Amino acid sequence: MRSGDAGVSYPDPARSWIGVAPVRFVATLLLVLLVYGFSFYFVDFDVGRLWSGLPKLAHWAAKAWPPDTSELGVLIERAIETVAMAVVGTTIGVVIAAPCCIVAAQNITPSRLLYTPMRWFLNTLRGIDSFIFALLFVAAVGLGPFAGVLGIGLHSAGTIAKLWSEAIEAAEPGPLEAAALTGANRLKVISYALLPDVLPNLTSITLYVWEFNVRSSTVLGVVGAGGIGQELKNSVDLLDFARLFTIILIILAMVTVIDQFSAWLRRKLV
Amino acid sequence: MTAALATDPAIRIIGLSKRFGDRVVLDDVSFEVAAGEVVAILGASGAGKTTLFRCVTRLAQSDGGQIFLGEHAIRTLGGRQLSMARSEIGLIFQQFNLIRRLSALDNVLVGRLGEVPTWRVMLRRFPHPDRQLALAALDRVGMLPYALQRADRLSGGQQQRVAIARALAQQSRFVLADEPVASLDPESAKSVLSILRDIARERMIAVLVSLHQVEFAIQFADRVIGLRAGRMIADRAAAAFAEADHRMIFAT
Repeated sequence: MRSGDAGVSYPDPARSWIGVAPVRFVATLLLVLLVYGFSFYFVDFDVGRLWSGLPKLAHWAAKAWPPDTSELGVLIERAIETVAMAVVGTTIGVVIAAPCCIVAAQNITPSRLLYTPMRWFLNTLRGIDSFIFALLFVAAVGLGPFAGVLGIGLHSAGTIAKLWSEAIEAAEPGPLEAAALTGANRLKVISYALLPDVLPNLTSITLYVWEFNVRSSTVLGVVGAGGIGQELKNSVDLLDFARLFTIILIILAMVTVIDQFSAWLRRKLV
Repeated sequence: MTAALATDPAIRIIGLSKRFGDRVVLDDVSFEVAAGEVVAILGASGAGKTTLFRCVTRLAQSDGGQIFLGEHAIRTLGGRQLSMARSEIGLIFQQFNLIRRLSALDNVLVGRLGEVPTWRVMLRRFPHPDRQLALAALDRVGMLPYALQRADRLSGGQQQRVAIARALAQQSRFVLADEPVASLDPESAKSVLSILRDIARERMIAVLVSLHQVEFAIQFADRVIGLRAGRMIADRAAAAFAEADHRMIFAT
């Protein structure tokens, strides 16, 4: 028998030979298998079809080389349009989110009555993708980047306001209470005591959403809402794979540069 | 008559009681603090010190009794009058509660927030007299050389001195300090408490400070009040505070 230093032997905590743990393990395993079974069934997963489609993909890939750079100027212009859409769309999101996040942050909300409806409203905005909003706006304001910008703006407003209000709720309550108890009104407390504390965080969140919006703007063209996605769809429709390849390369370069730039900026903030 | 006015207590608490459900947290607490006087409340944690402070600032409403800060009947004030009364109370906290990313000077200017127009606060353009007041307050607590340092770069003792400067800039007539030295080393604690005592004398501020170290209470306060399980069990001149009182307050 092994014993501790002081010569005391510690009995192991009592454990039955077959306890709850194995039963729970088997039950969890069955549940996971069930979820996978249903999921694969519903998506018509078929390796055979992928196999028979491969030659077609290879054929296209062969046709994509060399990439067609004859329209490089136009395509780069479209890429810039995509980034511009993300900039304007994110800004619209910020403008809508700013007042909303104050109502949706538990620690500074002016009214408990408005808090829950505001959360619901923001969840709705966030739940509907920019793509779907853009689809509606194309019908309302016509084809082009303006529809895409409105779509990005509404969806981003929900995302930004939610993330902002969470950042605000995580702010230290002590300094806010100290400022409020000097007799300062809500606006003074928010602008003087809260904002300096959370501003780096809020900016970082905004950059992150902008970066995300650049990526989602690339597909908005598919529904006719402007940007490089429109060129991408045209090329696919015309089976012009050399041009498509160029577009994909441009998107890759653009997204990589934006991601790196935004990450660098966010690192500098903290 | 003038003599009577001069000794008129600045803080007056009469028969204060507070319950949380069935638990009595404050039971018939009565005492006074004169202008220029430092009164220490001694008690183990859970004795009701923090609840007492929260009742005096109306962060919590007491169940019975009366609280007067000067002419303000704190328990019955509402809205605008309450925030006017609060603007005369300087608060010192155990965790300092400074805005971390702002400079010491900007933190002292928090004491001016109640007076300065909202647009000036939002643009951070404080009028010259307010800035002078803040700088003078920093100078008084020996923190003028650190005016432009970020608050989170200062030591605990320095932060608490900035917090005192904030109360000075606020031109408070009353200072409530809830365990102001509980997170400080003994040297910083002594310097913070002696500043509190000195400003009470100089500016005729009534200072109510809660502590759990008896030797600090005796050294820096004029009077010591013992609180145990929400009941006042001692109210003595600091010099008359005896070992027996100590044992009674902290007996388990």
